[in-house]
Amino acid sequence: MASTDVEDFIGQNRHLSDLVDTFRSISESEKHWKSRREFLFRNINDFEDPHLDQLLALSMVWANHVFLGCRYDPVLLERVSEMAEGIVVEDAPVFKTRDELIKQQQQKR
Amino acid sequence: MGVPAFFRWLSRKYPSIIVHCLEEKAKEYNGITIPVDTSKPNPNEVEFDNLYLDMNGIIHPCTHPEDKPAPKNEDEMMVAIFEYIDRLFNIVRPRRVLYMAIDGVAPRAKMNQQRSRRFRASKEGVELVEEKNKMREEVIQRGGYLPPEEIKERFDSNCITPGTEFMDNLAKCLRYYVADRLTNDPGWHNITVFLSDASVPGEGEHKIMDFIRRQRAQPNHDPNTHHCLCGADADLIMLGLATHEPNFTIIREEFKPNKPRPCALCSQMGHEIKDCQGLAREKQGEHDEFADTVPVSEQEFIFIRLSVLREYLEKELTMASLPFPFNFERSVDDWVFMCFFVGNDFLPHLPSLEIREGAIDRLVGIYKDVVHKTGGYLTENGFVNLERVELIMQAVGVAEDNIFKKRKDDDESFKRRMKEKKKRMKADKGPSFVPGGQFSPQALGGRDRPMAVQNARQAAYEMRMQGNQRNQDAAQSLRAMMRNGKSPAGASNEMDNRGVKRKAEDSDSEPEPEDNVRLWEEGWKQRYYKTKFDVDVTDDEFRKKVVKSYVEGLCWVLRYYYQGCASWKWYFPFHYAPFASDFKDIKGMFSDFEKGTKPFKPLEQLMGVFPAASGNFLPQTWRALMTNPESSIIDFYPDDFAIDLNGKKYAWQGVALLPFVDERRLRAALADVYPDLSPEEVRRNSLGSDVVFVGKSHPLCDFIRELYLAESHEETEIPAELCHGIQGILNLDEDPILPDKPVESPIPTLRDISSNSAIGIKFKDPQYDDCFVFKAVILPGAKIPDKVLKPGDWEQGNRGPWRPQLGFNPNRQQAHLDQSGFRKLNHYVDRNQGRGQFGASPSYGAQQRGGHYSNAPPPRNYHQGNYRPPQRDHYPQNQYSRPAPMNDAAPYPRFQHGSHGWDRSMQSQSTAYQQNQQRGRGGWRPPQNQQDSHRGGQQQGFGKGYGLPPPSRRNNWN
Repeated sequence: MASTDVEDFIGQNRHLSDLVDTFRSISESEKHWKSRREFLFRNINDFEDPHLDQLLALSMVWANHVFLGCRYDPVLLERVSEMAEGIVVEDAPVFKTRDELIKQQQQKR
Repeated sequence: MGVPAFFRWLSRKYPSIIVHCLEEKAKEYNGITIPVDTSKPNPNEVEFDNLYLDMNGIIHPCTHPEDKPAPKNEDEMMVAIFEYIDRLFNIVRPRRVLYMAIDGVAPRAKMNQQRSRRFRASKEGVELVEEKNKMREEVIQRGGYLPPEEIKERFDSNCITPGTEFMDNLAKCLRYYVADRLTNDPGWHNITVFLSDASVPGEGEHKIMDFIRRQRAQPNHDPNTHHCLCGADADLIMLGLATHEPNFTIIREEFKPNKPRPCALCSQMGHEIKDCQGLAREKQGEHDEFADTVPVSEQEFIFIRLSVLREYLEKELTMASLPFPFNFERSVDDWVFMCFFVGNDFLPHLPSLEIREGAIDRLVGIYKDVVHKTGGYLTENGFVNLERVELIMQAVGVAEDNIFKKRKDDDESFKRRMKEKKKRMKADKGPSFVPGGQFSPQALGGRDRPMAVQNARQAAYEMRMQGNQRNQDAAQSLRAMMRNGKSPAGASNEMDNRGVKRKAEDSDSEPEPEDNVRLWEEGWKQRYYKTKFDVDVTDDEFRKKVVKSYVEGLCWVLRYYYQGCASWKWYFPFHYAPFASDFKDIKGMFSDFEKGTKPFKPLEQLMGVFPAASGNFLPQTWRALMTNPESSIIDFYPDDFAIDLNGKKYAWQGVALLPFVDERRLRAALADVYPDLSPEEVRRNSLGSDVVFVGKSHPLCDFIRELYLAESHEETEIPAELCHGIQGILNLDEDPILPDKPVESPIPTLRDISSNSAIGIKFKDPQYDDCFVFKAVILPGAKIPDKVLKPGDWEQGNRGPWRPQLGFNPNRQQAHLDQSGFRKLNHYVDRNQGRGQFGASPSYGAQQRGGHYSNAPPPRNYHQGNYRPPQRDHYPQNQYSRPAPMNDAAPYPRFQHGSHGWDRSMQSQSTAYQQNQQRGRGGWRPPQNQQDSHRGGQQQGFGKGYGLPPPSRRNNWN
């Protein structure tokens, strides 16, 4: 879905996009939100109402992984990467996780 | 504020705020311990009314101590906690109130910090176990011996969080403890005990503050109550100042850096886990009777006198010619507010303000400049005037660029110095001079004993000549170097060096953590926002959002300190702070907080702060929400998370980038599993109440007993006259502690209380209107304590030399040695020094001897700088107070008794004093009872000018 496609989608689904906009958290920048919104749009049809929170959780798993450097269970990460296929994140930040840091510091000793 | 640096800074800048605690120890006669009678006057020469314990500062060191082996099980932990409280009670000896507060559910604003601590602690625990196992295997393979792995449950310190079984147990044990002491300890008979356990929401220290605030706002409060608050957190100092009670003292453990710790593997002292050899333990004492004694001195306590801090602040903050009347109390509140910029538990600190770089001094300087323009104070009763704060922020913002550049410069020069030092250390391969011949060092216990020294003068002369020769050599090579412009050794070594690849110069310097922000280079703001927030600096909207949140945060924190928790929901939703220069047009950014917010329930908060690895503290189905991939809150629980070192060196100093908890989703997910709670868990999850206890002889006891007899389930107010003006609302307890009703001991090793005489009842702080504002003022009728600091105009008054006040009592009797005491002192000091110098440098030795024979002006002063007796921190008693046996064997008497002796005793008296000053810690200070017996010595005129070193000297935190 290129960005124009997303705009089209929003135009055609005003109601849905208004709903999705309520899921934006205060700490999310424009860039992060755009990516996660796309994630939600792509998958929202598979998660009907009582399961909407699960979709939100999965979107956060993906966003936390990409933008915050969090690691989750590999199976879970696999799943969200599949769900996010096609979303283009430009210039994603690079992180060092705690485990990597500790390992690095232990080797130095 | 968990900033240890703050306390260090404070105690260095304002040394007189610290007073060392005198602690009376239990005596032992014929193997029977006689407990200290705490109803006797306080040996610290001060009487406290109320003692408040921030219990988490006690629970942590008692359950997983860093400097001694951990308790084996929960029962031992409880006993350790009891003993710790006993110790504090003995030192402080409160006469009216003992208030114990355990952390309950904290405001949401604290959750980020709690999460980050617990996620880290859980990982650190796992890593320690892994390292232990690895080392254990290695040691055993090498044939080392290790004590068998003790069957003790690994203690997960994460269980010290409200809602766990452990905390519930602790509450039960403390009830037992209180009942026992009220029944059996004479020092407790007349005090009122409050227990606020983990089921009452709020952080411990803030529950205490709430109690004080609500008491002092009611008319019966005694404005001259002397409060003593126990806890190590630096923000207790802020909280104490914020009460505006004139008599407020904090007691905490003396901080000693680099205390030895036992090895985690074999529990022996002297090495770390990675150097563990698995050697058999040496017997401690002839029959191993000292096996469990740890060779470190017991942790000592210090008082921090806030009344003295207020004196210092008054000197510092008083401003003349203000456009409005100066009010010291208001300026204290502003000072407290500015300290929040530098660090607190709820907000990350501004990047330009580092306490180590004198940030508070800078802020105070700016404040005094700017306050002329602001037209008034920054805060009032805990409410912030944002317009005026903006002026301060802008002034900091102007300096920001230079601060970052200077930080880089300081950092670089520090590194350079360290490197040079390292190089020097490497070059020094042992002492520069070792005496030879008959003076050469001999191993202790060697087979051949050293011969008696013969012809010492001749030998010393030769050594001196040798030394001269070496000096000349060194001078020569230095000259040669300057002439040739290269190292003298280089000439001969050049050949050898060729072809050998020179080691990289930095091979032993620590690799730098990468820093992409480079605050000292042009464009720092842009890079900061890009790396930390992943946004463009042009994204004004986002930046404003961060600033707005931070402004809200400042308002929330100040309100929290002065009025109590304004909103249980509010939190700072970013991992980093904005720059001071970003605070523009902040006036309209904040109006008020959402009203009527409620704290989390204990188990809900556990779900919010625990990693999945600590899920064992939660019910089965709740735990599943932390691990099941289908869970609707699975994103809260990453297995691993990024750490941004943020310019620091170690992982634990960095910022943990953990996702924030979405409260709505958390509550929704829990709604499904709430029905799975057992009745026991439902009880643990419910909000509890404070409880008040008194003993039989307390006037309140009969009143409460009547309430129970009448079975009146209505709220009843405490009659103020029964309890020193303390007010509150009483409610019957469902399972109360009642007189003559036996109290069962929850700990197998402790006895049940068969003839209990304590009574307990639920207690609620006095209630006020929602819009009531607690006034941050000194109450009418409060007497400000006498000044302790030297008045600025003392010299003009021609009042003789200033004598600093050492303890709480301004008229304290000083102890003095009499003449024979000084003779004795001098005798030992003199020899000690002689020995020390002898080995160090023969040429000095010769000089000194000249001094002795000719009785020239005191050589001591000259030598003072060269020789210092080795630090003897391990001996709590000073070396002078008992004869050291080694001196008896010293070969020469160093001076003659008689008329000389008198002169010398005067000289050496001054040296003893200087020495004490220099040595800093371990200064001589007689225990209380000795002091009295020595008063006779006072008539010695010379004693006067050389007082004992001020106790504050003993606190050199290096």
